[in-house]
Amino acid sequence: MTIVALDPTSGPIGASDTERRLAPRPRSLGGERLGLVVNGLGCSERFLDALAEELVALGGIADVVKVVKPSVSVPPEPDDWARLTEGATVAVTGFGG
Amino acid sequence: MLHAPREEWPDADAFLEEAYARGWTDGLPVVPATPEKVEAFLAVAGVDPAEVLGSVPTREVTVTAEHAAINAVMAGCRPEYFPVVVAAVRAHLDEHGNCHSTTGTLSGAAHAVIVNGPVRHEIGIACGAGCLGPGFRANATIGRALRLVIRNVCRAIPGFLDRATYSWPLRYSFCFGEDEEAGDWTPLHVQRGYAADQSTVTVHSVMRMISAWDSTSRDPEGVLDTLVAETRYHGIQGDAFLGDGVNVVYVMGREHQRFFFEAGWSKERMQEYLWPRLTADTTGFHDRRVNLGHPEKILVVAAGGAGMAETWILMPHLAWAITRPVERSTLDPAPGPGSRPRSSP
Repeated sequence: MTIVALDPTSGPIGASDTERRLAPRPRSLGGERLGLVVNGLGCSERFLDALAEELVALGGIADVVKVVKPSVSVPPEPDDWARLTEGATVAVTGFGG
Repeated sequence: MLHAPREEWPDADAFLEEAYARGWTDGLPVVPATPEKVEAFLAVAGVDPAEVLGSVPTREVTVTAEHAAINAVMAGCRPEYFPVVVAAVRAHLDEHGNCHSTTGTLSGAAHAVIVNGPVRHEIGIACGAGCLGPGFRANATIGRALRLVIRNVCRAIPGFLDRATYSWPLRYSFCFGEDEEAGDWTPLHVQRGYAADQSTVTVHSVMRMISAWDSTSRDPEGVLDTLVAETRYHGIQGDAFLGDGVNVVYVMGREHQRFFFEAGWSKERMQEYLWPRLTADTTGFHDRRVNLGHPEKILVVAAGGAGMAETWILMPHLAWAITRPVERSTLDPAPGPGSRPRSSP
């Protein structure tokens, strides 16, 4: 006996969603604008500040765009998100707890 | 009118294999959600298929009653369970239930579905011995239904928007009832502003489940001091978005309950005893501060059977415990004025 059943999902998830690839890695940081997302976990701000200082000291970083999430549990504010996506060409977006 | 795409399969085996292939299951078999079954579920809850139960803005997902019904059928629910599933989905999708964070987190947080009120007995929610484990259809399938909604509708798929490092067996299903008849404590839902005869669901996001085993204490203070020590070993962090609304849940079994009943301790007295001790400043690495805004944020739930002198601590992930009424069930009395919450945690 045939069965008719309903789709339980909220819509198809495209291959671009499930098979995300890492963004191309730059050969060097020369001229790049470095984005930092401080997510509030652990000592993320202290760590990322120190990382930025080290990378800038190597020379070549054109700018640093630092975004601090208002809380561990929520995404960056829309203005901060726009500042990051428009102002940075490379970014450190994760800090695991 | 149902809106979901429908397809025909030659038989149940073919459907099941395709359900696996499409990623519609948690790894266990699912029941085909036929239009007839889905309509029956919606009718029992008295909800329109298009009724919105909540949304996940960060994922551009809106969850409807039809979505919930399809996944409840697939989870193995009976139609009369569906009003409980609806309440659980609504609670989970409350803004401070923080769905995106609690289902995407590296920590693999689970979601405890705690049922109160008459519906427990009407549909057979286990509250006593073994209630946190397998063997009870209502517990198993209601908890699973919420998880399938999280997976199939809210897109928390491992490796995609579910980024858990290990995940957790409790993510298959985690539902139980409060043993309200164990003693004279005020049930959880009444403490949270609902009438005693109003059935409710409380969804609590659980980052860790810790055993507070204490077989030597013989009085309330001793048991509570053990709970304080175990809770403070891990601590609860503060969070700007969640403010003072975070909860901890203590699921207290009979061997601990009896000391409180014998000594005449209410839940409220327990909360007053616990709160200053939990929130006192830290004294060292394994004595962390517990960020709870008020004594009533400590939720004590009676459940479980006899034997083990143990209380389970359900440490929160980044969310409030949210309580919502079980509404429009044909099993429940019509909600009256007293069924409205005095507050809306």
